[in-house]
Order: sequence, then C-alpha cells, then structure tokens
Amino acid sequence: MTLWDMATKQTGRIVDLSQELGTHISRRLREMGFEEGQLITCIRRSPLQGPLVVQIRDSVYSLEQSVARNIKLQII
Amino acid sequence: MNRIILVGKPNSGKSLLFNQLTGLRQKVANFPGVTVELKTGQFADYEVVDFPGAYSLKTLSKDEEIAIEKLHAAMQDEKTTVIACILDATRLERSLTFGLQVQALAKKQNKALVFVLNMVDELQSFDHHIDEKQLSEQLGSPVYAISAKTLLGINELKDGLKHIASHAHDYLPLKGTDSSLDVLKQSRDLAQQFAIQADLVLKKQNRIDSFLLNSVFGGLAFLVIMFLLFQSIFTWAAPIMDAVEFAIGWLAQKITTSMEPGILPDFINGALFGGLGSFLVFVPQIMVLTLVIGLLEDSGYLARAALICHKPLSYFGLSGRSFIPYLSGHACAIPAILSARTIESPRKRLITMMTIPLMSCSARLPVYALLIAVLIPEKSYLGGLVNLQGIAFFALYMFGILMALMVSLVVNKFKANDDKLDDMPFILELPAYRLPHWKPLFQKVLNSGKHFVRRAAPIIFMVTIAIWILGYFPQSDEGLQASWLGQLGQWIEPVFEPLGLDWRYGIAIIMSFLAREVFVGALGTLFGIEGADENISGLAANIQADGLTFGAGMGLLLFYVVALQCVATVATLKAETGSRKIAWGLFVAYGLLAYLLAFVTVRLF
Repeated sequence: MTLWDMATKQTGRIVDLSQELGTHISRRLREMGFEEGQLITCIRRSPLQGPLVVQIRDSVYSLEQSVARNIKLQII
Repeated sequence: MNRIILVGKPNSGKSLLFNQLTGLRQKVANFPGVTVELKTGQFADYEVVDFPGAYSLKTLSKDEEIAIEKLHAAMQDEKTTVIACILDATRLERSLTFGLQVQALAKKQNKALVFVLNMVDELQSFDHHIDEKQLSEQLGSPVYAISAKTLLGINELKDGLKHIASHAHDYLPLKGTDSSLDVLKQSRDLAQQFAIQADLVLKKQNRIDSFLLNSVFGGLAFLVIMFLLFQSIFTWAAPIMDAVEFAIGWLAQKITTSMEPGILPDFINGALFGGLGSFLVFVPQIMVLTLVIGLLEDSGYLARAALICHKPLSYFGLSGRSFIPYLSGHACAIPAILSARTIESPRKRLITMMTIPLMSCSARLPVYALLIAVLIPEKSYLGGLVNLQGIAFFALYMFGILMALMVSLVVNKFKANDDKLDDMPFILELPAYRLPHWKPLFQKVLNSGKHFVRRAAPIIFMVTIAIWILGYFPQSDEGLQASWLGQLGQWIEPVFEPLGLDWRYGIAIIMSFLAREVFVGALGTLFGIEGADENISGLAANIQADGLTFGAGMGLLLFYVVALQCVATVATLKAETGSRKIAWGLFVAYGLLAYLLAFVTVRLF
C-alpha cells in the first residue's frame, strides 16, 4: 500500500519511494526523513482528499496526494 | 570587513539570532524574480550575512538554486571567516541533515565552522539536556547551546564567534562527509544519542493542530482569522493612511502658499505632492499587512492556512499558499504580490501574482460606489436585511475572484509544458506553534515599506508627471476639456463609443490608469461637480440625468473589475516576476479583456 492509503493514527514502515517522484524530489524527501525503513504515522486526513498530515522522526509534514501515493509502505 | 555567515534549516530561529547579533540596523538584498533575500548586518568588527533557510544543499527550484549559488560563492570568498550553522535543538535530526552537508562544504573550502544549538530553553522545559561538549566532539566542530529568544548563552556565543573568527585556522572542521547516505545515517545516529524524544516535543503542536485543523472548528477558526486579517488592512491602516494623506497635503500647502501663483506651485501641488501622495498613502497599508502576515507566519499558522486551502485551490492550478495573497489583494494588489513570496512553487507563485490584480482592491471601491449609485436602485428586501446595492457590490467582488480563478485555469493549461517554470509538489513542514518575537517582525515591516517605495516610486513618478503635463497644458478657461488630455479624449472617443461611452468617460478612464480612484474625481471635474470624491450622490444624480444607459454602465463596472489600471501594480509585477514582458503583457491583456467584456455587456442589455 501507499502513504495515501493510510488511515488516521495508523503507523507504517516506508518500503520504497517510487521512481515517478523523480530523483530530485526523492532525494529531498529522504533529506526530510522519508527514508526507506523509517516509521511514519498518519496524524490527520483532510476532507475532500486534501493533503494528509504525517509525523516522521522529529517532524510533522503535510503532503498532497501526488506525493503520498508514490511513497510505498508496510503497515505494522 | 571580514564576514560571518548564518545558515540553517527553515524555522530554526535564524532570523531572530541574526537580529540579536546585529541589532536593528540591516540591509536587505533582493534578486529580481525570485524570493531569495540576503540580510546583512554588523556584529563587532564583522559583517554578518543571513542566508535563507534551507533543507538541503541539493536544490529543487530556481529560488533554491540562487540561494545555494550565493552560499557557495560566499564560502569561496576569502573574506568569509566563519560559518555559523544554526540547529533547532527540538528537531535535531532534521537540522543536522543540512548542518552536516554544510560542514562538508566548509571542510572542502577550508572555512571555520561552528554549530549553534538554538532553542535549548524549550528542551529545558522538558527537562532534557544536550551535552554540547560530547556533541561537539562527535561532530568535530564547536557547538554553542543558546536560546535566541531568552538570550541564554548568547554572550558565550558572541565571545566564541569573535575568538573563532580571529583564530579561524584552528576551527576548520575535522570531520565532514560528502556522501548523502552517510549524512542521513550520521544525523540519525546523533539524534538517537542526543535528541529529545520527538513525541514529547510534538505533543503540544499536535494538540493545537487537532483543533485548528479540525474540519469543523478548524474551518471556523480559519474564517475568523482571515476576517480579522481583512479587517486589519482596512480599519487599522485607515487612520494611518489618512494621516499620511493629511501630512502630504499640509506640507504641499506650506510650501506653495509662500510662492507666487503660477505653474511652479501648481506643479508642486498637483504633480509632485499629488503623485507622491497617491502612492505614499499605500505604505501604511502595506506595512500593516506585512505585520499581520508576519504574525501568522512566525506563529506557525500560515502553514496550516495553506494546508486548509490547498485542495480547493489546486483545482485551478494554484497552491494553498495562494490564499493569503488573494485575500490581501482585496486591500491592495501591491502587498498581495509581495506576499506571494511565501508560495514554494515558482510556477504557482507566478500564476498567483498574475491573477492578483483581478481582486477588487480598495482603490476600486469609490468607482464601484459611484456607478452602483447611478445604476442600481436603492431597494431593500426582507425588512432591510438584503440590500440591492449591497448585492451588486458583492457580485462585483465575486466576479473578480471568478475571473482570477478562470485566468489561473487558462494560464495553467497554457504553461503546462513550460520547463523553465519548476513546479514543486506540496510538501510542507508544519512548524511548532511559537509566540512571534517583535524584533524580526519589526524588521520585516520596516523593510516592506522601504522595499515598496524604492521599487514603485520611479515609475509612478514619471507617469504622474506625464499625466499632469497633459492635463495642465495648454492653459485656458475651459479647463481640462481644452487640455491635451481633453483633446486626446475627444480624439480617442471612437474607441469608447462601442462601449456606449462618450469622451468624458474616455478621459476619466485614461486618467484612472494612474490610480483607479482618480476616475471619480476626473468625472466630477468634467461634470462640473466640485469635490466629487466626497460627494458621490451629487455626481451620481448628474450622470443619471445625463443619460448613461444601463448596459453601458454595467459594462463600465465590469471594465473596472478586470482592467489593470494601476502603474504601481505593473511596477511591482515587473520587479517581482523579473519580467517586463509579463508585467506589461498583463496590462495589455487585462485591458483588452475588460474592453471585450464591456463591449459584450452593452449589447446584452
């Protein structure tokens, strides 16, 4: 599944960043903490398929669908 | 003068530290078309340069590219002696990712580097302590633990910076890895060893978010905050704007009364002070708006507002961060265009800036008021709850917003394959909620005023003088009608005829390219009503008696919603987009669109 499929309060482990993101965005995401193997928690979903809010390591980020659906993870 | 440069992740408190080191005197360098801002100040015998906050040395957009290019250049410059890298102690891992990249670069360039661990006061409130000696040992560079807010450890840092700057060779980084994988791993390891538990720090922020981002309460809070912002630009700024206007009028009178009547005092009064007044009057509004947006930004709410607005605006190719500029545009397009700087995606920023002039700014208000009084009967329904003229006002505002969204949609489609315009996906960090500190805010507000005057003054001045000369010469008893401007109006009457308007409206429209509200005063002069600005109803009755048709009047209203009749806005657009072509292209395009709309409207009614 992908980050976009997560429900509020669910936690998962990042498996892969899809190639569709491109190397530049993928690199930036890793620098922001979205690395393979890291735990990520969904804090909030917005109405109307708006951006979701996640906590990863020491930061909280908001991501839109086009990014979130390209981050693959495993629910634990 | 030798130089110390400040770098760090966004929201690491860098600007506040810069202010604490340098005091309130600073210079800001801007670069056309991008949001990069380099602030320069003085600390002891050193020049301190504050670089924009960054997540990485590897860039995503043109803005970041320019900022990082400048950083590389500064690093190579032999005047640069110390690099101070600010770390947010509450987000140690993320701060270190960028910090370690900078350290590697400093090592390569043989520059002294010092880490400044900021916000340790927040750690103390959680009873957490970072052993800076050990951290320093592991990093291979000195570490100073401080709080830029409470000034904890600031004296030690100041002494340390002076010492390091004068013994730079002893403080070259011992470590520093170029590999990005190593950087990520190392920051993670160090965070595991030193950082406070993330859940502890994020608990407060997440609790406030569960209210402010809640679908019901969050929406309400959003509306209330935006309403206050909207109010502030009108009500708080109004008395200051009046004061500026009064002061300029007073000064003009003081200077001209001692002169012999003639061309010179008329010029000083009309062109010099009139022109000066017409744009200096916007400075307070710009500063108040900057203050309120600065408060929202520094408190952390701006990121949340962007999150709330992102989805609805994304349908039109805009970002969530386009909302504040759009809202501000209802006061004045100039600060609104400046506030578009917070939009992270260069492409969405451009589209936002291009469509801001369609928001009904306060300068259109007198024009709307006059024409609505002429065209729409003053009728109320539902016991005075609904007023027909009020509805007309509302409809005009909505029409402007609708046009802006439509234009965004079109430009977005049209520019879909423009490679020069990077589009960054919406990845937004939600920073901690913090009480804003007055020092950086004060600086921001002051700079916004200075920035506006420096950018817009020359062009406004030239246009004012040109229109004044056209309206003043050749002198005769018939006044404006016989002037070059009047002749011009009659000459171009055929242009306005298809809109059902005669030469008098033509002149008023041309004159209002200086500033829209001039329209009312100019029409007043042409219809022989003195003081038409204050006394709209007299002029309205005259225009009604003169027989302006409903269709022509409605067309004129729509013309004023769409046309970009404001040289100050064009000047700001040119400066902010870095493109003369875009600025004047919009001027022409919105002019043609406005004309077309008016043309169609006359035929519909």
